[in-house]
Amino acid sequence: MSSPAKHSRTIEVIDVSKRYGDMYALKSVSLEIEKGECVALLGSNGAGKTTLLKIIATHIVPTAGRVNILGEDIFKNNGSIRRTIGLVTHDSYLYDELTIRENLQFYAQFFVGNGEEIRFDRIEFLGLKRWYNVPVKQLSYGLRKRADIGRALLHSPDVILLDEPFAGLDVATCDLLVEYFKKLKEDGKTLMLSSHSTEWIKKVYNREVVLKKGKIVGEKDRNEF
Amino acid sequence: MSFRNFRRATFLIAQKDLKIEFRRPHEILSILTFSVGSILIASLALRGNGSAIPEIVAAVLWIIIFFINILIFTTAFTREADRGTIGGLKTLPCSPIAILAGKIMYGTALIFLAICVLIPCSLLFLNFQMGGNFLNLIFICILGAVGFSFAGSFVSGLVMFSEGKTLLLSLLLIPVCMPVILLSVITTGKIIRGASLYSIIPELRLFFAFLLFMTAIMVVTFTFVLEE
Repeated sequence: MSSPAKHSRTIEVIDVSKRYGDMYALKSVSLEIEKGECVALLGSNGAGKTTLLKIIATHIVPTAGRVNILGEDIFKNNGSIRRTIGLVTHDSYLYDELTIRENLQFYAQFFVGNGEEIRFDRIEFLGLKRWYNVPVKQLSYGLRKRADIGRALLHSPDVILLDEPFAGLDVATCDLLVEYFKKLKEDGKTLMLSSHSTEWIKKVYNREVVLKKGKIVGEKDRNEF
Repeated sequence: MSFRNFRRATFLIAQKDLKIEFRRPHEILSILTFSVGSILIASLALRGNGSAIPEIVAAVLWIIIFFINILIFTTAFTREADRGTIGGLKTLPCSPIAILAGKIMYGTALIFLAICVLIPCSLLFLNFQMGGNFLNLIFICILGAVGFSFAGSFVSGLVMFSEGKTLLLSLLLIPVCMPVILLSVITTGKIIRGASLYSIIPELRLFFAFLLFMTAIMVVTFTFVLEE
Protein backbone atom coordinates (compact mmCIF):
# COMPACT_ATOMS: atom_id res chain seq x y z
CA MET A 1 0.00 0.00 0.00
CA SER A 2 1.12 3.56 -0.68
CA SER A 3 2.60 5.49 2.15
CA PRO A 4 0.17 7.96 3.77
CA ALA A 5 2.87 10.65 3.71
CA LYS A 6 2.95 10.60 -0.11
CA HIS A 7 -0.72 11.51 -0.41
CA SER A 8 -2.02 14.71 1.06
CA ARG A 9 -5.37 13.73 -0.48
CA THR A 10 -6.49 10.93 1.74
CA ILE A 11 -9.83 10.33 0.03
CA GLU A 12 -10.60 10.88 -3.65
CA VAL A 13 -14.13 10.19 -4.83
CA ILE A 14 -14.09 10.33 -8.62
CA ASP A 15 -17.38 10.60 -10.51
CA VAL A 16 -19.13 8.03 -8.36
CA SER A 17 -22.70 6.96 -9.10
CA LYS A 18 -24.83 4.34 -7.43
CA ARG A 19 -28.06 3.18 -8.96
CA TYR A 20 -30.72 0.93 -7.45
CA GLY A 21 -33.00 -0.09 -10.32
CA ASP A 22 -34.07 3.18 -11.97
CA MET A 23 -33.26 5.29 -8.94
CA TYR A 24 -29.91 7.00 -8.46
CA ALA A 25 -28.79 7.09 -4.82
CA LEU A 26 -25.69 8.97 -5.96
CA LYS A 27 -25.09 10.64 -9.30
CA SER A 28 -21.61 11.65 -10.50
CA VAL A 29 -20.29 12.63 -7.09
CA SER A 30 -16.68 13.84 -6.96
CA LEU A 31 -14.92 14.87 -3.80
CA GLU A 32 -11.38 15.25 -2.50
CA ILE A 33 -10.49 15.22 1.17
CA GLU A 34 -7.11 16.17 2.52
CA LYS A 35 -5.22 14.48 5.31
CA GLY A 36 -6.31 15.84 8.70
CA GLU A 37 -9.47 17.35 7.29
CA CYS A 38 -12.94 16.88 8.74
CA VAL A 39 -15.72 17.01 6.19
CA ALA A 40 -19.38 17.17 7.12
CA LEU A 41 -21.82 15.54 4.73
CA LEU A 42 -25.08 17.36 5.12
CA GLY A 43 -28.45 16.70 3.58
CA SER A 44 -31.95 15.53 4.30
CA ASN A 45 -32.95 11.87 4.59
CA GLY A 46 -32.35 10.01 1.34
CA ALA A 47 -29.82 12.55 0.06
CA GLY A 48 -27.17 9.83 -0.36
CA LYS A 49 -24.96 10.51 2.67
CA THR A 50 -24.98 6.95 4.01
CA THR A 51 -24.54 5.47 0.53
CA LEU A 52 -21.46 7.64 -0.04
CA LEU A 53 -19.97 6.69 3.33
CA LYS A 54 -20.64 3.00 2.69
CA ILE A 55 -19.03 3.20 -0.75
CA ILE A 56 -15.91 4.79 0.76
CA ALA A 57 -15.93 2.07 3.44
CA THR A 58 -15.96 -0.59 0.63
CA HIS A 59 -19.37 -1.87 1.73
CA ILE A 60 -21.17 -0.90 -1.43
CA VAL A 61 -19.71 -1.18 -4.92
CA PRO A 62 -20.55 1.90 -6.99
CA THR A 63 -22.33 1.52 -10.33
CA ALA A 64 -19.77 3.89 -11.87
CA GLY A 65 -16.74 5.84 -10.75
CA ARG A 66 -13.82 5.17 -8.50
CA VAL A 67 -12.68 5.86 -4.94
CA ASN A 68 -9.04 6.12 -3.89
CA ILE A 69 -7.82 6.09 -0.33
CA LEU A 70 -4.19 7.10 0.16
CA GLY A 71 -3.79 6.87 -3.59
CA GLU A 72 -5.04 3.31 -3.89
CA ASP A 73 -8.24 2.15 -5.59
CA ILE A 74 -10.29 0.80 -2.70
CA PHE A 75 -11.94 -1.98 -4.65
CA LYS A 76 -8.66 -3.43 -5.94
CA ASN A 77 -7.37 -4.35 -2.51
CA ASN A 78 -10.16 -3.77 -0.05
CA GLY A 79 -8.64 -6.12 2.55
CA SER A 80 -5.69 -3.84 3.27
CA ILE A 81 -7.68 -0.64 2.70
CA ARG A 82 -10.08 -1.67 5.46
CA ARG A 83 -7.23 -1.52 7.94
CA THR A 84 -7.15 2.24 7.38
CA ILE A 85 -10.92 2.75 7.80
CA GLY A 86 -13.14 3.01 10.86
CA LEU A 87 -16.87 3.09 10.16
CA VAL A 88 -19.87 3.82 12.36
CA THR A 89 -23.33 3.63 10.79
CA HIS A 90 -26.96 3.73 11.94
CA ASP A 91 -26.81 -0.03 12.48
CA SER A 92 -24.92 -1.22 15.51
CA TYR A 93 -22.26 -3.75 14.53
CA LEU A 94 -22.13 -5.15 18.05
CA TYR A 95 -23.42 -8.59 19.00
CA ASP A 96 -26.15 -8.49 21.65
CA GLU A 97 -25.10 -11.70 23.39
CA LEU A 98 -21.46 -10.65 23.83
CA THR A 99 -20.15 -8.15 26.35
CA ILE A 100 -18.60 -4.85 25.22
CA ARG A 101 -15.13 -6.27 25.88
CA GLU A 102 -15.84 -9.44 23.85
CA ASN A 103 -17.24 -7.39 20.98
CA LEU A 104 -14.28 -5.02 20.93
CA GLN A 105 -11.85 -7.92 21.21
CA PHE A 106 -13.55 -9.78 18.36
CA TYR A 107 -13.24 -6.86 15.95
CA ALA A 108 -9.81 -5.71 17.15
CA GLN A 109 -8.24 -9.15 16.79
CA PHE A 110 -8.49 -8.85 13.00
CA PHE A 111 -6.39 -5.70 13.06
CA VAL A 112 -3.62 -6.77 15.43
CA GLY A 113 -1.06 -9.48 14.95
CA ASN A 114 -1.23 -12.78 16.80
CA GLY A 115 -0.26 -12.21 20.42
CA GLU A 116 -0.20 -8.44 19.96
CA GLU A 117 -1.98 -6.46 22.65
CA ILE A 118 -5.27 -4.68 21.97
CA ARG A 119 -4.93 -0.99 22.90
CA PHE A 120 -8.11 -0.39 24.90
CA ASP A 121 -6.53 2.83 26.20
CA ARG A 122 -7.23 4.41 22.77
CA ILE A 123 -10.94 4.50 23.57
CA GLU A 124 -10.73 5.23 27.27
CA PHE A 125 -12.20 8.70 26.63
CA LEU A 126 -15.55 7.03 25.87
CA GLY A 127 -15.92 6.11 29.53
CA LEU A 128 -16.95 2.54 28.83
CA LYS A 129 -14.61 0.80 31.23
CA ARG A 130 -17.20 0.06 33.93
CA TRP A 131 -19.51 -1.43 31.29
CA TYR A 132 -16.94 -3.68 29.63
CA ASN A 133 -18.35 -6.88 31.12
CA VAL A 134 -22.01 -6.11 30.46
CA PRO A 135 -23.71 -7.86 27.51
CA VAL A 136 -24.56 -5.35 24.80
CA LYS A 137 -28.26 -6.27 24.92
CA GLN A 138 -28.44 -4.77 28.41
CA LEU A 139 -27.03 -1.40 27.36
CA SER A 140 -28.93 1.80 26.66
CA TYR A 141 -28.88 3.23 23.12
CA GLY A 142 -26.31 5.86 24.08
CA LEU A 143 -23.89 3.37 25.63
CA ARG A 144 -24.28 1.03 22.69
CA LYS A 145 -23.48 3.89 20.32
CA ARG A 146 -20.41 4.79 22.37
CA ALA A 147 -19.27 1.18 22.25
CA ASP A 148 -19.81 1.16 18.49
CA ILE A 149 -17.67 4.27 18.11
CA GLY A 150 -15.04 2.55 20.25
CA ARG A 151 -15.15 -0.47 17.93
CA ALA A 152 -14.46 1.75 14.94
CA LEU A 153 -11.58 3.63 16.58
CA LEU A 154 -9.85 0.80 18.40
CA HIS A 155 -7.47 -0.01 15.52
CA SER A 156 -6.53 3.67 15.13
CA PRO A 157 -7.70 4.07 11.51
CA ASP A 158 -6.45 6.92 9.29
CA VAL A 159 -9.90 7.45 7.79
CA ILE A 160 -12.87 7.70 10.14
CA LEU A 161 -16.35 7.60 8.65
CA LEU A 162 -19.24 8.37 10.99
CA ASP A 163 -22.87 8.33 10.00
CA GLU A 164 -24.92 10.49 12.38
CA PRO A 165 -22.38 10.09 15.20
CA PHE A 166 -24.21 12.41 17.60
CA ALA A 167 -27.69 10.95 17.17
CA GLY A 168 -29.15 9.63 20.42
CA LEU A 169 -26.22 10.72 22.59
CA ASP A 170 -26.45 12.93 25.65
CA VAL A 171 -24.84 16.38 25.74
CA ALA A 172 -21.87 15.27 27.84
CA THR A 173 -20.99 12.45 25.41
CA CYS A 174 -21.43 14.74 22.41
CA ASP A 175 -19.02 17.21 24.02
CA LEU A 176 -16.55 14.39 24.64
CA LEU A 177 -16.81 13.24 21.04
CA VAL A 178 -16.32 16.77 19.69
CA GLU A 179 -13.13 17.16 21.72
CA TYR A 180 -11.91 13.72 20.65
CA PHE A 181 -12.63 14.38 16.96
CA LYS A 182 -10.66 17.64 17.22
CA LYS A 183 -7.75 15.67 18.68
CA LEU A 184 -7.98 13.10 15.90
CA LYS A 185 -7.79 15.91 13.34
CA GLU A 186 -4.68 17.29 15.04
CA ASP A 187 -3.18 13.80 14.85
CA GLY A 188 -3.64 13.87 11.07
CA LYS A 189 -6.66 11.58 10.89
CA THR A 190 -9.22 12.26 8.19
CA LEU A 191 -12.84 12.42 9.27
CA MET A 192 -16.10 12.32 7.36
CA LEU A 193 -19.23 12.87 9.35
CA SER A 194 -22.76 12.83 8.05
CA SER A 195 -25.73 14.49 9.63
CA HIS A 196 -29.04 16.03 8.76
CA SER A 197 -28.50 18.67 11.43
CA THR A 198 -25.44 20.83 12.09
CA GLU A 199 -25.93 21.28 15.83
CA TRP A 200 -22.84 19.32 16.94
CA ILE A 201 -21.11 18.66 13.70
CA LYS A 202 -20.37 22.36 13.11
CA LYS A 203 -18.04 22.35 16.11
CA VAL A 204 -15.65 20.00 14.34
CA TYR A 205 -15.74 20.27 10.57
CA ASN A 206 -13.46 22.24 8.23
CA ARG A 207 -15.70 21.89 5.24
CA GLU A 208 -19.32 21.09 4.59
CA VAL A 209 -20.59 19.22 1.56
CA VAL A 210 -24.32 19.36 0.95
CA LEU A 211 -25.98 16.47 -0.84
CA LYS A 212 -29.43 16.55 -2.37
CA LYS A 213 -31.01 13.68 -4.28
CA GLY A 214 -27.64 12.02 -4.74
CA LYS A 215 -25.81 15.09 -6.05
CA ILE A 216 -23.47 17.57 -4.42
CA VAL A 217 -25.34 20.86 -4.44
CA GLY A 218 -23.06 22.90 -2.23
CA GLU A 219 -19.58 22.90 -0.80
CA LYS A 220 -18.16 25.46 1.61
CA ASP A 221 -14.97 25.82 3.64
CA ARG A 222 -15.38 26.82 7.25
CA ASN A 223 -13.51 30.08 6.56
CA GLU A 224 -16.25 31.14 4.16
CA PHE A 225 -18.85 31.35 6.92
CA MET B 1 -4.35 -12.44 2.54
CA SER B 2 -1.94 -15.10 3.73
CA PHE B 3 -3.19 -18.57 4.60
CA ARG B 4 -2.24 -17.96 8.23
CA ASN B 5 -4.42 -14.86 8.40
CA PHE B 6 -7.20 -16.66 6.55
CA ARG B 7 -7.11 -19.50 9.07
CA ARG B 8 -7.06 -17.07 11.99
CA ALA B 9 -9.99 -15.06 10.60
CA THR B 10 -11.97 -18.26 10.00
CA PHE B 11 -11.32 -19.45 13.53
CA LEU B 12 -12.22 -16.08 15.10
CA ILE B 13 -15.54 -15.93 13.25
CA ALA B 14 -16.43 -19.52 14.15
CA GLN B 15 -15.43 -18.92 17.78
CA LYS B 16 -17.59 -15.78 17.95
CA ASP B 17 -20.61 -17.60 16.45
CA LEU B 18 -20.27 -20.56 18.81
CA LYS B 19 -19.94 -18.23 21.79
CA ILE B 20 -23.14 -16.45 20.74
CA GLU B 21 -24.90 -19.77 20.16
CA PHE B 22 -24.03 -21.03 23.64
CA ARG B 23 -25.29 -17.76 25.14
CA ARG B 24 -28.65 -18.60 23.51
CA PRO B 25 -29.05 -22.10 24.96
CA HIS B 26 -32.70 -22.33 23.92
CA GLU B 27 -31.67 -22.73 20.27
CA ILE B 28 -29.21 -25.53 20.95
CA LEU B 29 -31.69 -27.18 23.28
CA SER B 30 -34.38 -27.05 20.59
CA ILE B 31 -31.98 -28.76 18.14
CA LEU B 32 -31.15 -31.47 20.68
CA THR B 33 -34.82 -31.93 21.63
CA PHE B 34 -35.69 -32.29 17.96
CA SER B 35 -32.93 -34.91 17.52
CA VAL B 36 -34.02 -37.03 20.46
CA GLY B 37 -37.73 -36.61 19.68
CA SER B 38 -37.24 -37.68 16.06
CA ILE B 39 -35.26 -40.76 17.08
CA LEU B 40 -38.00 -41.73 19.54
CA ILE B 41 -40.68 -41.37 16.87
CA ALA B 42 -38.61 -43.41 14.41
CA SER B 43 -38.07 -46.04 17.09
CA LEU B 44 -41.83 -46.29 17.62
CA ALA B 45 -42.38 -46.60 13.87
CA LEU B 46 -39.76 -49.35 13.50
CA ARG B 47 -40.64 -51.35 16.64
CA GLY B 48 -41.51 -55.01 16.43
CA ASN B 49 -39.35 -55.65 13.36
CA GLY B 50 -36.46 -57.11 15.30
CA SER B 51 -33.16 -55.53 14.40
CA ALA B 52 -33.63 -52.45 12.20
CA ILE B 53 -32.43 -52.52 8.59
CA PRO B 54 -29.14 -50.55 8.34
CA GLU B 55 -30.26 -48.56 5.28
CA ILE B 56 -33.44 -47.46 7.06
CA VAL B 57 -31.46 -46.46 10.16
CA ALA B 58 -29.07 -44.49 7.92
CA ALA B 59 -31.96 -42.75 6.14
CA VAL B 60 -33.62 -41.84 9.46
CA LEU B 61 -30.32 -40.47 10.81
CA TRP B 62 -29.54 -38.32 7.79
CA ILE B 63 -33.09 -36.99 7.39
CA ILE B 64 -32.88 -35.79 11.00
CA ILE B 65 -29.44 -34.28 10.37
CA PHE B 66 -30.74 -32.55 7.24
CA PHE B 67 -33.47 -30.83 9.24
CA ILE B 68 -30.96 -29.91 11.95
CA ASN B 69 -28.90 -28.36 9.16
CA ILE B 70 -31.90 -26.24 8.16
CA LEU B 71 -32.42 -25.17 11.79
CA ILE B 72 -28.77 -24.14 12.15
CA PHE B 73 -28.37 -22.31 8.88
CA THR B 74 -31.68 -20.49 9.10
CA THR B 75 -29.90 -18.25 11.57
CA ALA B 76 -26.26 -18.35 10.40
CA PHE B 77 -26.16 -15.44 7.96
CA THR B 78 -29.78 -14.36 8.32
CA ARG B 79 -29.27 -13.25 11.91
CA GLU B 80 -26.24 -11.20 10.85
CA ALA B 81 -28.26 -9.58 8.07
CA ASP B 82 -31.34 -8.93 10.24
CA ARG B 83 -29.35 -7.34 13.06
CA GLY B 84 -27.06 -5.41 10.73
CA THR B 85 -23.91 -7.05 12.07
CA ILE B 86 -23.10 -8.32 8.58
CA GLY B 87 -21.92 -4.74 8.02
CA GLY B 88 -19.45 -5.22 10.88
CA LEU B 89 -18.06 -8.34 9.20
CA LYS B 90 -17.64 -6.31 6.03
CA THR B 91 -15.41 -3.83 7.88
CA LEU B 92 -12.95 -6.60 8.68
CA PRO B 93 -9.71 -6.79 6.72
CA CYS B 94 -10.31 -10.36 5.64
CA SER B 95 -11.54 -12.15 2.56
CA PRO B 96 -15.30 -12.85 2.26
CA ILE B 97 -14.31 -16.51 1.87
CA ALA B 98 -12.84 -16.41 5.39
CA ILE B 99 -16.23 -15.22 6.69
CA LEU B 100 -17.93 -18.08 4.85
CA ALA B 101 -15.32 -20.57 6.08
CA GLY B 102 -15.97 -19.36 9.64
CA LYS B 103 -19.67 -20.08 9.20
CA ILE B 104 -18.84 -23.53 7.79
CA MET B 105 -16.67 -24.30 10.81
CA TYR B 106 -19.41 -23.10 13.18
CA GLY B 107 -22.07 -25.15 11.35
CA THR B 108 -19.91 -28.27 11.34
CA ALA B 109 -19.33 -27.94 15.09
CA LEU B 110 -23.05 -27.63 15.82
CA ILE B 111 -24.06 -30.48 13.50
CA PHE B 112 -21.38 -32.65 15.05
CA LEU B 113 -22.71 -31.80 18.50
CA ALA B 114 -26.16 -32.94 17.39
CA ILE B 115 -24.63 -36.12 15.90
CA CYS B 116 -22.96 -36.83 19.25
CA VAL B 117 -26.45 -36.97 20.77
CA LEU B 118 -28.05 -38.72 17.80
CA ILE B 119 -25.69 -41.71 17.53
CA PRO B 120 -26.04 -42.96 21.14
CA CYS B 121 -29.82 -42.35 20.97
CA SER B 122 -29.99 -44.33 17.71
CA LEU B 123 -28.00 -47.20 19.20
CA LEU B 124 -30.34 -47.16 22.17
CA PHE B 125 -33.72 -46.73 20.50
CA LEU B 126 -33.41 -47.88 16.89
CA ASN B 127 -32.19 -51.31 17.88
CA PHE B 128 -29.56 -51.74 15.19
CA GLN B 129 -26.48 -53.92 15.36
CA MET B 130 -23.27 -52.05 14.70
CA GLY B 131 -21.53 -54.57 12.47
CA GLY B 132 -18.64 -52.34 11.42
CA ASN B 133 -16.09 -50.14 13.06
CA PHE B 134 -17.69 -47.41 15.16
CA LEU B 135 -14.86 -44.99 14.25
CA ASN B 136 -15.73 -45.41 10.56
CA LEU B 137 -19.29 -44.34 11.37
CA ILE B 138 -17.97 -41.26 13.19
CA PHE B 139 -15.73 -40.49 10.19
CA ILE B 140 -18.70 -40.62 7.81
CA CYS B 141 -20.75 -38.47 10.19
CA ILE B 142 -18.01 -35.81 10.27
CA LEU B 143 -17.79 -35.85 6.47
CA GLY B 144 -21.56 -35.53 6.21
CA ALA B 145 -21.55 -32.66 8.71
CA VAL B 146 -18.87 -30.87 6.66
CA GLY B 147 -20.84 -31.44 3.44
CA PHE B 148 -24.06 -30.11 4.98
CA SER B 149 -22.19 -27.12 6.38
CA PHE B 150 -20.70 -26.28 2.98
CA ALA B 151 -24.13 -26.37 1.39
CA GLY B 152 -25.92 -24.73 4.34
CA SER B 153 -23.51 -21.82 4.74
CA PHE B 154 -23.47 -21.02 1.07
CA VAL B 155 -27.25 -21.11 0.64
CA SER B 156 -27.72 -19.18 3.90
CA GLY B 157 -25.37 -16.49 2.55
CA LEU B 158 -27.16 -16.42 -0.81
CA VAL B 159 -30.61 -15.81 0.66
CA MET B 160 -29.71 -13.52 3.59
CA PHE B 161 -30.76 -10.28 1.88
CA SER B 162 -33.89 -11.71 0.23
CA GLU B 163 -37.51 -11.58 1.31
CA GLY B 164 -38.86 -14.93 2.57
CA LYS B 165 -35.33 -16.11 3.31
CA THR B 166 -36.46 -18.88 5.68
CA LEU B 167 -38.66 -20.48 3.04
CA LEU B 168 -36.04 -19.97 0.34
CA LEU B 169 -33.34 -21.54 2.50
CA SER B 170 -35.39 -24.68 3.15
CA LEU B 171 -36.36 -25.04 -0.53
CA LEU B 172 -32.86 -24.42 -1.91
CA LEU B 173 -31.16 -26.66 0.62
CA ILE B 174 -33.04 -29.76 -0.62
CA PRO B 175 -31.44 -29.86 -4.10
CA VAL B 176 -28.07 -28.50 -2.95
CA CYS B 177 -27.81 -31.05 -0.13
CA MET B 178 -29.10 -33.97 -2.18
CA PRO B 179 -25.63 -35.32 -3.13
CA VAL B 180 -24.58 -35.20 0.55
CA ILE B 181 -27.79 -36.90 1.70
CA LEU B 182 -27.55 -39.70 -0.89
CA LEU B 183 -23.86 -40.38 -0.32
CA SER B 184 -24.18 -40.20 3.47
CA VAL B 185 -27.16 -42.58 3.52
CA ILE B 186 -25.43 -45.10 1.23
CA THR B 187 -22.09 -45.04 3.06
CA THR B 188 -23.67 -45.07 6.55
CA GLY B 189 -25.80 -48.09 5.56
CA LYS B 190 -22.70 -49.90 4.31
CA ILE B 191 -20.65 -49.02 7.41
CA ILE B 192 -23.41 -50.26 9.72
CA ARG B 193 -23.47 -53.51 7.72
CA GLY B 194 -19.78 -53.90 8.47
CA ALA B 195 -18.13 -52.54 5.32
CA SER B 196 -14.62 -51.12 5.60
CA LEU B 197 -13.60 -47.61 4.53
CA TYR B 198 -11.78 -49.18 1.57
CA SER B 199 -15.04 -50.53 0.15
CA ILE B 200 -16.70 -47.10 0.17
CA ILE B 201 -13.89 -45.30 -1.66
CA PRO B 202 -16.04 -44.68 -4.80
CA GLU B 203 -18.64 -42.87 -2.66
CA LEU B 204 -15.90 -40.95 -0.83
CA ARG B 205 -14.47 -39.82 -4.17
CA LEU B 206 -17.87 -38.48 -5.19
CA PHE B 207 -18.16 -36.80 -1.83
CA PHE B 208 -14.83 -35.00 -2.17
CA ALA B 209 -15.75 -34.03 -5.74
CA PHE B 210 -18.90 -32.41 -4.32
CA LEU B 211 -16.84 -30.50 -1.72
CA LEU B 212 -14.41 -29.35 -4.41
CA PHE B 213 -17.28 -28.25 -6.65
CA MET B 214 -18.92 -26.32 -3.80
CA THR B 215 -15.58 -24.72 -2.88
CA ALA B 216 -15.04 -23.59 -6.48
CA ILE B 217 -18.53 -22.04 -6.62
CA MET B 218 -18.03 -20.31 -3.26
CA VAL B 219 -14.64 -18.86 -4.20
CA VAL B 220 -15.98 -17.50 -7.48
CA THR B 221 -19.31 -16.13 -6.24
CA PHE B 222 -19.26 -15.36 -2.54
CA THR B 223 -17.59 -11.95 -2.88
CA PHE B 224 -20.62 -10.84 -4.90
CA VAL B 225 -23.03 -12.36 -2.37
CA LEU B 226 -21.74 -10.02 0.33
CA GLU B 227 -22.00 -6.94 -1.89
CA GLU B 228 -25.04 -4.74 -1.60
